[in-house]
Amino acid sequence: MQLERPSSPAEAVAALASGAVALAGGTEVVPLLREGLLPADRLVDVRGAVPRGVDGRTIGAGTTLAELEADPRIPATLREACRLAASPQLRNMGTIGGNLLQATRCWYWRLKFPCYLHGGDRCHAKAGQHREHAFFGNERCASAHPSDPAAALLALGARVRTDRRELDLAGLYRLPTEDDHATTTLEAGELILELEVPEAESSVYLKAMDRKRWAFALVGVAAARVGGETRIALAGAAPVPWLLDSPAALDAATPLPGTAYKVEIARALVPRALASL
Amino acid sequence: MPDLRVNGHDYAFDTNVGRSLADVLREDLGLTGTKVACGEGHCGACTVQLDGVPVLSCITLVHTVGAREVTTIEGLRDHPLVSAFVRTDALQCGFCTPGQIVSAAALVASNPDPTHEEIRHGMAGNLCRCGTYPRIEEAIATWRG
Amino acid sequence: MVGRDSPRLDGLAKARGEARYTADVQLPGMLHTALLHSPFARSRVRRIDVAAAEAAPGVRAAIGPGAVEGLEAEAEYEGYAVAAVAAETLDQAEAALQLIDIDWEELEPLLDATVAVERGSLVADSRRYERGDYERGLGEADAVVDSEYRTQTLNHNSMETHQCVCEWRGDGIDVHISTQYIWGVRRDLAKALGLPEDKVRVVCEFMGGGFGSKAGVDSSLLLTAELARLTGRPVRCALTRRAENMISGNRNATLQRVTAGARADGTLTVLGGEYTCALGWDGWLPPTAGPTQLLYACENVRTVEHGAKLNLPPMAAFRAPGFVEGTWSLECVLDKLAAQVGVDPLELRKLNYAHADAMDGRPYSSKGLMECYRRAEPHWERRHEVRARSDEIWKRGMGMASQIWYGGGGPPSYAWVRLGSDGRANVVTAMQDIGTGTRTAMAMIAAEELGLTVDQVEVQLGDSARGPFAVVSGGSSTLPSMGPAVRSAAADAARQVIELAAQRFEREERLLSLKGGNIVSSDGGSWPLAEITGLLEDGQILGKGARGPNPTGMRVLTFGIQLAEVAVDVGTGEVVVEKVVAIHDVGRVINPLGARSQIEGGIIQALGHTFSEARLDDPQTGTILTRTLDSYKVPTIADVPEIVCDLVDEPDVHLTNLGSKGLGEPPIVPTAAAIANAIRDATGADVTSLPITREEILRALRDAEARRRKEPVAAGAA
Repeated sequence: MQLERPSSPAEAVAALASGAVALAGGTEVVPLLREGLLPADRLVDVRGAVPRGVDGRTIGAGTTLAELEADPRIPATLREACRLAASPQLRNMGTIGGNLLQATRCWYWRLKFPCYLHGGDRCHAKAGQHREHAFFGNERCASAHPSDPAAALLALGARVRTDRRELDLAGLYRLPTEDDHATTTLEAGELILELEVPEAESSVYLKAMDRKRWAFALVGVAAARVGGETRIALAGAAPVPWLLDSPAALDAATPLPGTAYKVEIARALVPRALASL
Repeated sequence: MPDLRVNGHDYAFDTNVGRSLADVLREDLGLTGTKVACGEGHCGACTVQLDGVPVLSCITLVHTVGAREVTTIEGLRDHPLVSAFVRTDALQCGFCTPGQIVSAAALVASNPDPTHEEIRHGMAGNLCRCGTYPRIEEAIATWRG
Repeated sequence: MVGRDSPRLDGLAKARGEARYTADVQLPGMLHTALLHSPFARSRVRRIDVAAAEAAPGVRAAIGPGAVEGLEAEAEYEGYAVAAVAAETLDQAEAALQLIDIDWEELEPLLDATVAVERGSLVADSRRYERGDYERGLGEADAVVDSEYRTQTLNHNSMETHQCVCEWRGDGIDVHISTQYIWGVRRDLAKALGLPEDKVRVVCEFMGGGFGSKAGVDSSLLLTAELARLTGRPVRCALTRRAENMISGNRNATLQRVTAGARADGTLTVLGGEYTCALGWDGWLPPTAGPTQLLYACENVRTVEHGAKLNLPPMAAFRAPGFVEGTWSLECVLDKLAAQVGVDPLELRKLNYAHADAMDGRPYSSKGLMECYRRAEPHWERRHEVRARSDEIWKRGMGMASQIWYGGGGPPSYAWVRLGSDGRANVVTAMQDIGTGTRTAMAMIAAEELGLTVDQVEVQLGDSARGPFAVVSGGSSTLPSMGPAVRSAAADAARQVIELAAQRFEREERLLSLKGGNIVSSDGGSWPLAEITGLLEDGQILGKGARGPNPTGMRVLTFGIQLAEVAVDVGTGEVVVEKVVAIHDVGRVINPLGARSQIEGGIIQALGHTFSEARLDDPQTGTILTRTLDSYKVPTIADVPEIVCDLVDEPDVHLTNLGSKGLGEPPIVPTAAAIANAIRDATGADVTSLPITREEILRALRDAEARRRKEPVAAGAA
């Protein structure tokens, strides 16, 4: 295996052009490489190439979750989502750009069951153990998106700038389809550089988890009022971060037998989140 | 050959890309105070500081460390936290203890008088199966003796 | 000395990262082992060829089924090792595994414990116990509670995984191993290798936790010894965390049906339990019915325990095996019964107090449970105040549960005490300190007997070649077994000192004793100890001690009660344990500082058992899904409540010269039930499954709400 350490976005993009894997904090990529879930013979350490830090409403994709957690300029929902994510060491290492791209924690996927996301024809979680899985968007794959910050950024209406385009955060994600199992719209070699985060009048993040710290969201509820408009987004609810049109939209949830409780939790947390705005 | 700066000393290392910082510290440099308990970034036993920031050395590829200074428990042996941990009995089997102290040292460096909530928030990534947490909280709260 | 806080002697070495664990042993030329684990819950190796692996870069040996005991072609659970490779580096060994040519025959696994019991697939014969007349007891009851309970499979997750390093030296073998039982490894490995026991040297000076899972020889040790023999090199084998969570043992899941009946005044007339233990492919039937048989004076008791044999990894002892699971159900049922007959739960427990052994009427060597109950009263009185602090979202309540468990230890165990001319003592025994602080306790015991300070005593342990036999560190037995041996060894040394002093100072021996570093005569004289030991020059005083028998005709047990205060978010099912009060009677307390750590540690492990830990298996394939520490969630520092520890600290005068019982296990026993009872007190929700997940709480809250609507008269927390 080889490793390159470019020092500019252009160099990084050039290095990534031929199928290399980008490595930032390493908290996700390194374990996936070891488990053979992410094949790579060339790594590009993009830490020196991707912008880092907060400038006005722009967040460099290389900014760590620990840095965001402590930054008073960041909207409360994102700060809290970072604060309640992962463990202190993982927040020190993990970047916001990488966090948005993390793979599902679905144990079947991680143990390489020939599931839908791995190119198979079914979701093993549905007939198996799925208490940490989805209650929306789970027609094919029942995995739950693990990112707390992604839900916060979705509620805030953040935009993403890559080396080649700008898009809404919502546009970064897609539900897997019959012919394409990807859960992001990122192209091969495309690199997230910055996030544009609107100022929020008020925002909040509430998270239900199995431990008080260092657990993925059973349900994460982000709510933000931006320009007079209120948006709600959920973590741990669907294979991608999930925008909830209104509290009533929970009636349209499609829980599995083992995730019905998550809908109950969301029914409790969404009104609390809205009430605190 | 790239260099690795550990506890104030420079080491040249020559190893294949993909090896972790933890393995190089333990196997090549003989710094076995850093423990590996899960090997995939979940437990905190392998915590070291990079430029003063606690990270997980088991999922840090050694070739990505660059010029950052590595501090391991061997570099913190005379830190007041060490005696605070012993005094308050903040260890049982002791396997997670070096990682606990490395995390705690960074915590008190940036926040010398952490509240109990801040200690719990800052130490939640260091698992202790013996359950010495109340003692660890006390050790950090009284680290200056 | 004894009875005062003493920081642990090896604390500094551990905190500074200097303590050398098995994981840190690096021997010149040492090879590394990778294991080929079965990917199926049940399979058979039809054909295997390790030749290509053996020829791979760096590989020095590869072995397959049949090479050693426990490495067989029939793989009866997922993760079972069928082949092993030793190479210069771990990466090379793991790469070589891919080259093993293997043809698996996948077979239909048996995964359901109830089905297994029906089919008679059992690890051991079912155990039946009956006293009195069960049916009569039922008939005499004015109220009967009959409930089903479940507990989950739990993984020990010691921070240091199971590991060893084997090195042959001449016709003997040195074994560095992370173990709770140095002498068990020595005995069983010698037997397996056909060696005299003294040809096997077992070393474990520091070990990173065991909790019951590291009490013997397993196939990974046998295959490591074989790989070391084949290669003539030292060989390391360390389980990965993932393998640890598959094959290194577990607390078995249970399905329990528990019955309790009482007269209107609260007198128990009947207790019953049927327990199905999902043991996995191997193991033993833990005493799940123990608490029901032992805790209360009840004339009519019937229990039956089944141990289902399944295509799942074998169970292993895990901190008070059986009693943790059995206390959970019994103490929950007892509180429901108390509510039905309208008797206060603490009163009900006092009312049915067993003054002699509930099974055979033997007197207890000592029993301070009533004192524990008495000390619980002021805490229990706070329950109304706790409940009154409830609001719309957070409902608060309090619950309790009693604890009973073994912990008396027993013979054989031996220790030597060496006293040199400098007046310092050295305790020599080949026991292990698995993190409980027994090394420090032994120093305190010897220091007390010799009139020294703790820092004048060294303790040599952890090496079968350098000390006499010591007991397994299991069953809360190290301290009550080893402590008396150390005390008698120190007393033997003290007696010799006094003999010399009596001659030297012309006093009668009976007047002399050792105190504060001096030889003190009751008629007034006092001489520094060094005046006698200084005469020794290179000579030494050698004291020998052995653990005597336990008192005949007496039952030796440990006791306690815990009270939990909880807050329950009735919207989201979140439970916050705000406080746990732990009151235990384990005889005389040697080191209060270390004892408190044991209590806190046990309770925190119990909190994991209660809320967040569960091994999840795929119901179709039997695959273990939660192998990693992100999915198997042990408690973090943020999950810990306020913990109040209170030890009765009365010596058990019948037990030994020390009067101490073990404390490793008692604190983990009652916590889950105390919390479940507190949740019921707070909300009326009757949780019956461990772990108490959000879904379990929300289910129980829904059921409680339905009951309230159905029975408006019984409204409120039952």
